[in-house]
Amino acid sequence: MKKFSVFLLFFISTITFTVNRVVNYTCSCNLCVNNYFAFLISVAVYAQEDENIDDIVDIEGEDNSVITDEESEDETATVSSDADTTILFTKPVYNRLSTLELPAGNLVEFLVGFTNKGESDFILESLDASFRYAMDFNFYIQNFSTVTYNKIVKPKHEATLAYSFIPSENLAGRPFGFNINLNYKDANGISFNEAVYNETVQIIELDDGLDGETIFLYVFLAACVILTLVGGQQLLSSLGRKSRSSNTRKTPVEMGTSNPNNVDYDWLPKETLNRINKSPRTPRQSPRQRKFKRTDD
Amino acid sequence: MKWHIIFAAFAAFLLVTYAEEEEEAARLLVSKQLLNKYLVENMDIVIKYTVYNVGNAAALEVEITDNSFHPDHFTHVSGELNARIDRVPPYTNVSHIVVVRPRKFGYFNFTSAEVLYRHKEDAGSLQFAASSEPGEAIIVSFRDYDKQFSSHVIDWAAFAVMTLPSLAIPFALWYSSKSKYEKLLKTTKKH
Repeated sequence: MKKFSVFLLFFISTITFTVNRVVNYTCSCNLCVNNYFAFLISVAVYAQEDENIDDIVDIEGEDNSVITDEESEDETATVSSDADTTILFTKPVYNRLSTLELPAGNLVEFLVGFTNKGESDFILESLDASFRYAMDFNFYIQNFSTVTYNKIVKPKHEATLAYSFIPSENLAGRPFGFNINLNYKDANGISFNEAVYNETVQIIELDDGLDGETIFLYVFLAACVILTLVGGQQLLSSLGRKSRSSNTRKTPVEMGTSNPNNVDYDWLPKETLNRINKSPRTPRQSPRQRKFKRTDD
Repeated sequence: MKWHIIFAAFAAFLLVTYAEEEEEAARLLVSKQLLNKYLVENMDIVIKYTVYNVGNAAALEVEITDNSFHPDHFTHVSGELNARIDRVPPYTNVSHIVVVRPRKFGYFNFTSAEVLYRHKEDAGSLQFAASSEPGEAIIVSFRDYDKQFSSHVIDWAAFAVMTLPSLAIPFALWYSSKSKYEKLLKTTKKH
């Protein structure tokens, strides 16, 4: 009986792991075995559901791309007395008097200089940078990739490392703790970890003078102005024509009387029209028109 | 009391001289950058060396040497691969440009250049400094690059030639009929 029950346990647990929804059904099926299994299965299901919830939470955390996990490892900056480091921001140019301002979404470049003042080799292993919460440097806001250099610096020699990164555009307008770590080891294999830069920086938003939105706004405004000008001109001209056209428009109306068949002569060439006008029929105009012509003269 | 003052003065003097000694030296940071977006076989690669003096004194006899471009792999186009700058004043930078042309395509690891300089006026030995490394980069073959970025003149010309028949045949048909009718018109006018 016991062997059978163990076998069933395995069997059912596999089923529950594959098909989550059918669990209740299988439970009721195996009620004859005993209640213990039902309890075990339910525990298994609960555990699985918990895992699912955890997964969902993790995914949401990744979606925001701003990870605020508290790092438990204590970072003790160990510096070798024989090493000397400097840092220089080459992009943007930084004068060391004000707080460093980094443009969000733009490339930031800096150089790290390393001088070996000792008598044995140093190996520069890697360089990494991170943005941290300004109030608490244990909160990581954005981590940048750790670049591996593995550069050997001989005694009394110097070396320069270049590093570049782009701060996230979401971080604009806020101060962050900016930390640059240099990891190196000496010839004996003792690792050192030096914070080359560890200060609060301001992330700024660069407003380039001409972005697409403003250009199209101006184009739209110009179009509106032109449209109103054209409309006004049309309106004015039509008004002027109305006031002036009282006697000029009568001529075609009067010509209509001499055109009894209502024939449209517009399509005829000018010469033909002239010829028609010169023909003896044209002088037969209505007396009223002649009168007007005289008044015009 | 008197001894105290003397001791303090001596200590201060020592400190000042030590501090001055610390400060009075040039310190160079050298960056080596590739300015090209695409590295293409048999096309120019522009390499920029920038020497930043972050020290307090001028760096003298700065000599930039780059041995990483082996003549088997690169042709030297312009700029000196062994450049010498007499003086880099403190808090300034000097840049130097070299143009080379790769002979082969594939991955290439661009390593650092070497800089030798005198960090003090009276320094006995030359200071050695290594520049930053651009790292491994891919050199694209010219064929692939051309496929993507050339203006495709020959292709368009071929296309034009290929479209000619479909335009010429209808035109010829139309022209023949037109000339036929014109001939007819002339004959009728003559009558």
